Amino acid sequence: MAAMSSLQEIIHENVREGELHEKLDRRWVRCFACGHCCKIPDGQPGVCKVRYNQGGTLYVPWGYVGCIQCDPIEKKPFFHAYPGALAYSFGMLGCDLHCAYCQNWVTSQALRDPAAVAGPTRVSPAELILDALQQGGRVIVSTYNEPLITSEWAVALFKEARAAGLVTGFVSNGNGTPQVLEYLRPWVDLYKVDLKSFDDRHYRQLGGRLQPIRDSIQRLHEMGFWLEIVTLVIPGFNDSDDELTQLAEFLASVSPDIPWHVTAFHKDYKMMDPENTRPETLIRAAEIGKKAGLHYIYAGNLPGMVGDWENTRCPNCQKLLIERYGYLITGYQLTPRGCCPACGACIPGRWDPAFRRQITADPFVPHARSQSGLIVLHS
Amino acid sequence: MAYIIAEPCIGTKDTACVDVCPVDCIHPAKGRTYDDGRPTFDETPQLYIDPTECIDCGACVPVCPVTAIFPLEDLPEKWRAYTEINASYVVGGKFQPDRFQIRRN
Repeated sequence: MAAMSSLQEIIHENVREGELHEKLDRRWVRCFACGHCCKIPDGQPGVCKVRYNQGGTLYVPWGYVGCIQCDPIEKKPFFHAYPGALAYSFGMLGCDLHCAYCQNWVTSQALRDPAAVAGPTRVSPAELILDALQQGGRVIVSTYNEPLITSEWAVALFKEARAAGLVTGFVSNGNGTPQVLEYLRPWVDLYKVDLKSFDDRHYRQLGGRLQPIRDSIQRLHEMGFWLEIVTLVIPGFNDSDDELTQLAEFLASVSPDIPWHVTAFHKDYKMMDPENTRPETLIRAAEIGKKAGLHYIYAGNLPGMVGDWENTRCPNCQKLLIERYGYLITGYQLTPRGCCPACGACIPGRWDPAFRRQITADPFVPHARSQSGLIVLHS
Repeated sequence: MAYIIAEPCIGTKDTACVDVCPVDCIHPAKGRTYDDGRPTFDETPQLYIDPTECIDCGACVPVCPVTAIFPLEDLPEKWRAYTEINASYVVGGKFQPDRFQIRRN
């Protein structure tokens, strides 16, 4: 436990007063950063463990990053936003959920599980943005842990990023509130929600509820964020035809133009029982999405094993528009306005006037990470 | 898995846990009447956690003044019966009249 308490000390040194909260009586506060809307007594943290009340003031993470990596934007995954661009991704520490299969548990559960120790690195917004530009990033993404719980710091970074011409994004569990989405709207361009299930009982096992996530997906779409959804398909947990159908029908009811990525589970963290997801299961999920009326469904992270489900086709004339192998773009046919060259139908997304080609030597092994200008606080 | 409220709650019923719970799964709430016939705050000896609504966040643990709340795997052996006692009140938001009656007799 010693490592954990020292990590907690470091976390408590890198804070500032949060904006997303209201003060209650008895020096309690109510936090609005995520769908838990924690009522926090003086001296206690919220469920996320990184936002805490001291003397009636809510303190929130500030001035550090937990990890940094530069990857193809297809890995996030965003398929309808700047194809081939490099996404400079940073994570913080902590999460409002505690999924047993978390693939980023070293950072997300750092304050809950002593086995998960990730060292934070102190950094200023200017230093981080410079590093993003030097690594060739066009997009900066808050990911790896739950970005909603560090929204204040993300906005500080994104203001600097915008001034430098970068596009900004969140990769999130979608457990939001109206307050946090309003707060983010001016500064966040792209928003990925990991919709993990469509069964409230399943969500409770992961530490949340379905309703705030459903509401946030609806709201994100209405507010004009560029929204894509990913569902990690886990055999025996969320892969029943019934649950996938309900989930896909919900998305189609929000908008059939929301891209839905179905990706394959691999054994991780505390969930070691289910088998790894087979390609046939992803294809089944994709077909359910199509039947529900979704226009853009992608079966991810099993390159070459899911047939046509890695590609973008025109929903109007079926012309092949973007061809992919994993994160690699192997064909690009969209017009400068993001439309189908055959029938003229416009494909929803955020498109460049021309495909700029992927700038990594190998899209599966992007630039080695750089630590230039960053000071390691804890290792 | 869920959190369990054990014996120290009896005679205490502080309700700080009810205030911090982000999913309102600790019952009965003080001053509230229910239309399904469940005993109210003044009528129960302790507070109970709904085992299917609990999201295992642990927010209730540090605010309990008498250390009555435990994650299932850390529940002291002598209070093992409290797993069923908690589940005998409300499950999935529904009062369990039969189970609760058995616990009282």
